Amino acid sequence: MALLSRKGTLFLLFLFSIFLLSASASNGSGEEEEEFWEELLLKPLPDRKVLSHFHFQNEAPLSDSFARHHHLFPKSIAQLVKKFHIKAMELSFTQGRWNYERWGGFDPISSHNAKPPGVELWAVFDVPPHQVDASWKDLTHALSGLFCASINFLESSTTYSAPKWTFQSALGSLRYGTLPREAVCTENLTPWLKLLPCRDKAGLSALMDRPSIYKSFYHSQRLHLTQAKTGANPKNSRVVLEQTLTVVLQPNILTGGTNYVSEAKMQPSWSLSSIFGRKINGRCVLAKSSNVYLQVERGLVTQLENLQSSTATFAANGTNLDDFGRNVGFELSVNPDRVLKEVEKSSSILYEYPIKVHKDSEQFDLGITWKHPVIWSTPHVPLYASRFLMGSGNERGAIAICMKSTESTQELVAANYVDQRCNFQVNVLQIVPWYIKVYYHTLQLFVDEKPQILTDFVERMHVSPSEDKVSPGLMELVLKLPCEVKSAVLNIEFDKGFLHIDEYPPDANQGFDIPSAIISFPDFNAGLQFSDNSLSKTPMLSKLQERSPVISYTEVLLVPLTTPDFSMPYNVITITCTVFALYFGSLLNALRRRVGEEERRLNDKGGKKDALLNRVLGKLSSKFRGRSSVSSQPSSSSSSSLISPKLILRVLLVAGIAVAWQYYS
Amino acid sequence: MELDPKTMRTTKPGIKPVILTLIVPFSFILGFPLLWKSVEIYRSPLPFCGIEAFSSQLDSKPLHFRCQFQAMFLGFNFTASNDVAEAIINKMSLLNPNSSQCGNCGAYEVSVVIDSGTSCMRTENSKAQCPFKCGEEVAFFGGKLSDENVDELLRGCLGNVDGGGNVYSVVVVNGGDKEAEVRAVVGKYRHAWILGGVLEEKALSRVAEIFAKVFMNGRSEGDSIRAKFMPVGADGRIVLSFSLLNAEPRDWIYDWNFREIDEILLQPVIQSLQPIANITVESQVLYHTQKSSFSYWDEVLGSHISSTKDLPFFVDSNEWHLDTSVAAGGRSKVLQLLVYIPSAKECPLQLELPNGDLSNTNGFISRVIHLAFKFSLLNMWGGGVVWNPQSCIKDLESKDPPRHMISTQVFLSLMNCHCLVTRQLNEVSVFHRDSHNVWELDVLSQNHVCLNLYSLFGVSFLKFNSMQVQSLPRMIITDEIGKQVIVNAYWMIFWLETVVYLQVMISLEAAKFAQSNASAGIYDASAVSSRQARALAEDSFFHPSVMSISYYSYWHSVSIYAPYFLLVIKPVILPVLSEWKRYKQENMKFVAWKAKAKVT
Repeated sequence: MALLSRKGTLFLLFLFSIFLLSASASNGSGEEEEEFWEELLLKPLPDRKVLSHFHFQNEAPLSDSFARHHHLFPKSIAQLVKKFHIKAMELSFTQGRWNYERWGGFDPISSHNAKPPGVELWAVFDVPPHQVDASWKDLTHALSGLFCASINFLESSTTYSAPKWTFQSALGSLRYGTLPREAVCTENLTPWLKLLPCRDKAGLSALMDRPSIYKSFYHSQRLHLTQAKTGANPKNSRVVLEQTLTVVLQPNILTGGTNYVSEAKMQPSWSLSSIFGRKINGRCVLAKSSNVYLQVERGLVTQLENLQSSTATFAANGTNLDDFGRNVGFELSVNPDRVLKEVEKSSSILYEYPIKVHKDSEQFDLGITWKHPVIWSTPHVPLYASRFLMGSGNERGAIAICMKSTESTQELVAANYVDQRCNFQVNVLQIVPWYIKVYYHTLQLFVDEKPQILTDFVERMHVSPSEDKVSPGLMELVLKLPCEVKSAVLNIEFDKGFLHIDEYPPDANQGFDIPSAIISFPDFNAGLQFSDNSLSKTPMLSKLQERSPVISYTEVLLVPLTTPDFSMPYNVITITCTVFALYFGSLLNALRRRVGEEERRLNDKGGKKDALLNRVLGKLSSKFRGRSSVSSQPSSSSSSSLISPKLILRVLLVAGIAVAWQYYS
Repeated sequence: MELDPKTMRTTKPGIKPVILTLIVPFSFILGFPLLWKSVEIYRSPLPFCGIEAFSSQLDSKPLHFRCQFQAMFLGFNFTASNDVAEAIINKMSLLNPNSSQCGNCGAYEVSVVIDSGTSCMRTENSKAQCPFKCGEEVAFFGGKLSDENVDELLRGCLGNVDGGGNVYSVVVVNGGDKEAEVRAVVGKYRHAWILGGVLEEKALSRVAEIFAKVFMNGRSEGDSIRAKFMPVGADGRIVLSFSLLNAEPRDWIYDWNFREIDEILLQPVIQSLQPIANITVESQVLYHTQKSSFSYWDEVLGSHISSTKDLPFFVDSNEWHLDTSVAAGGRSKVLQLLVYIPSAKECPLQLELPNGDLSNTNGFISRVIHLAFKFSLLNMWGGGVVWNPQSCIKDLESKDPPRHMISTQVFLSLMNCHCLVTRQLNEVSVFHRDSHNVWELDVLSQNHVCLNLYSLFGVSFLKFNSMQVQSLPRMIITDEIGKQVIVNAYWMIFWLETVVYLQVMISLEAAKFAQSNASAGIYDASAVSSRQARALAEDSFFHPSVMSISYYSYWHSVSIYAPYFLLVIKPVILPVLSEWKRYKQENMKFVAWKAKAKVT
């Protein structure tokens, strides 16, 4: 068959045509591309700690080839979005608790990145309402595999719910679930890093030293997915994947040249290498921009300004904070490229350091050396919320959510509404597992420690009672509290339910976690306003400037429930068996005792008549020795003869049975 | 008469105590079947017999496709058309002795049309018109028209539209001139033609050759299908996952427009393979993916050399996340096809074959790596190509690393290597030369149906599944799949999930459907339904509930009930034994006394 000769030329023609086609197509392809940014924000915290917040953003156009052909955007995430029709999603893995009092709650970082311990997942689906639950279940399984975590436990309808108002983009197709007890470790971070184009091989993510991160006071790794519409055309929308890692670290104290102040009062001086043990070796070449920011908070700026004015007499040419941080309070090791200042009077300052391409000789190591002790406080949440359990015993109890006013609310009163009566809105979302049977009619509200009628303060309320073994209970409250409120306490009673023996988790005696309540303040805006709007906005800057409500989480509650004695079935088995054994043993013993009597009668008849004493003694001894006096005779007489043949026979019989059993079973 | 109470007794010993002690164990024995019944596990009736019967039927009578061949001789003067058909069949059976194999044309018939120009003869089973109306045109234009045009012309005449009448035809046109060159061309559709001055005998053998070698076997020298590698997933899906690996993006960054490559190059092929496999194409670009094997610098060749022996270490599965995508969920198979761009340090990189030569394609195909990865997690490998940048000198001056696009043309040359790989995809050439011929697809479909049925019933899944179920007599089988059953909660709580029933039933039906279709000759439909059947059979086997414990073993139940019986058995059995012993002793005494009494 050597006659297929012209195929070669045909093939060349085909190649050529393909080449022509591709050349023409490549000319016309000016479509949007995938983009990636990497940024790091560092912030000294009042309690001698440092907040480092990594922010990676990846964007891809939602085109036809989305989820099939990708250059930078992680294909696995794109396929999740496409397969489960995800409109928005957020997944966070957190270890430790965000300290709202010390680390602040009224800034974009804490509002977005302070998360409840364990895993939190919410997702909005673009599917008909009846398919939302199915999509959620599939998604939890997919994420579970992707992030090496037990997110699949959120599949059960008892673990997730559908809040209405707490998350803005809800519209019925949102599902929310948490796993407070999930332990977070490197096995969750590694797959998260794999989604970055440079992983931890280059760029800012190379800083992520695992021991430093996991010995931190708080770390939260987050994955946030949204669809951003860039134009009127829905086809122009882009999928935005934000990956953030927020770590609160205690820096190792660097001994600086500070002789005149005691070390104890000083803020610890630190540098990137002292926090993470590594320096930045150049940016990820795939990133559109790679920046490091150092944020100096409002409170710190005010303190430094005060300090500066008091020492101005000594320093003739009064230095400015804008002047590359060469001020009285601290000194920065690297000069920033840009200084961004908030619009307001006493405002935070942001130093920007763009990271350059890798050069072997240069390494970026930003450090801060404190020169003067400074004490300041961070902006607090409008109401500081804490939650606790009341009551004792295994039968019933009560949950109390206590909200105390902070200086933010007082500022609000002072600032805007001097004359008129002012209110602000507080949204409370409380989800309880079904075995905490909450009586919603017992909800009480105390404002400034006085009981109040609910309807005076509750604007809207959404309650979906729990259903045993089907769904958790959900309560959403929209409260309108007066600005001058000092404290507000919500109190609700519950009964503790019983679980089926196989519904108990391992180590049930530890107690059961009630997920954190979410307290949000839609009237307060956590965003910062920087003066330098003309310059290009990086994702981090736009995130900091985004107008978003202040959100805070309460603690996770641990409720002890009645736990059964898990060894009960085995106890029952042994007791029943013992009773049976005793019953049959004594029954048969009783039945057999007649033989002995018969024999004794025979003995009495035939033998000589003993004295009464002898008879009593004999009876006693026979009682002590049991039937031995009776039965020992035949056995002892026959024992010598029995040993060899019969015993061997018995042993053989047993062995035979065992072999037969083994063979036939 | 003296009575020794130790050895003799005057009364007969009572049998009552023995009977009483016996009653208790006896009642236990009576109650045992009741207990056994109460702890018996539920097994839903499965069509074991149906599966067995079908499987043995398939073994004894392999699945054959009915093929129809048609030979048209224009300008020949044979005496009888039936003899011609007979001769062709004889020659075909000589050329293709393996026709009894599954997937072959086991039962074929040959029809013949002989149009000598003046008279026309045809066999009874022939469907073609006599005289053949295009004959003259083909003969006339044969030398002038391009092969493609003749192909189309014949397609119009013979009416062989895709999926329609599946008759394979060979048109032999006697060119008259005995010295003229003889050309045989196999067209794109189900026909071939021979032009030129052919002798009658030669024409017959040529025709038989085309029928037997090309149309029946797809030109491949037939080894058994079972031995062949079929990367089609259980659900009939393959994901071709292309990855472009930039070893060091700080040196240079390569990118490609895979969307275009997909649309222009791959989609037409994928469309035509639709009945056999549902192929999807994905691509990604990865960065910082250094190979983990070492290469050495060769002065003579002026390049870095990496031996193919080190291929298992070439792919660093830890850093190269060639993830099995979500789209390939379940048991779809993913073929990973890689393009590796080396870093400036190891550029240019050449692959060395085990025999010491450099690889022409600078790539490796799945067979090598498949063997290498036999025991690793990455079991599905297409292949990889190392693509060296044109200039291996890194630009130290520029701020950003240079960015390049891999053009479609370059990709095509890379694909030449991958073709080696993808050819394995379905035995015969898939990305074959310039096109995917209809007759090739027929052969593919036939083999595919066969393989599906064999993997279904012959060797693997369904039969194995039923054997498995039968060999595990205490495996629980519920009617509803995935239903969790709690058995014997008093003693122990078990999650027993299962299986099978519905899926087995459905896949059996689908398999029967495939067989009936195959005889009718509808290849595509049978390929589709055999794919479904295989998918369903595997579904039942791979059902997650089967994976979890669904086997309440015999020893498990023994261990559960043993404490109960062991404790009770002692006070029940021991009295019987000792009572029986005592009775025998007492009876002996009585017998002794009786004997003594007789004597005295």
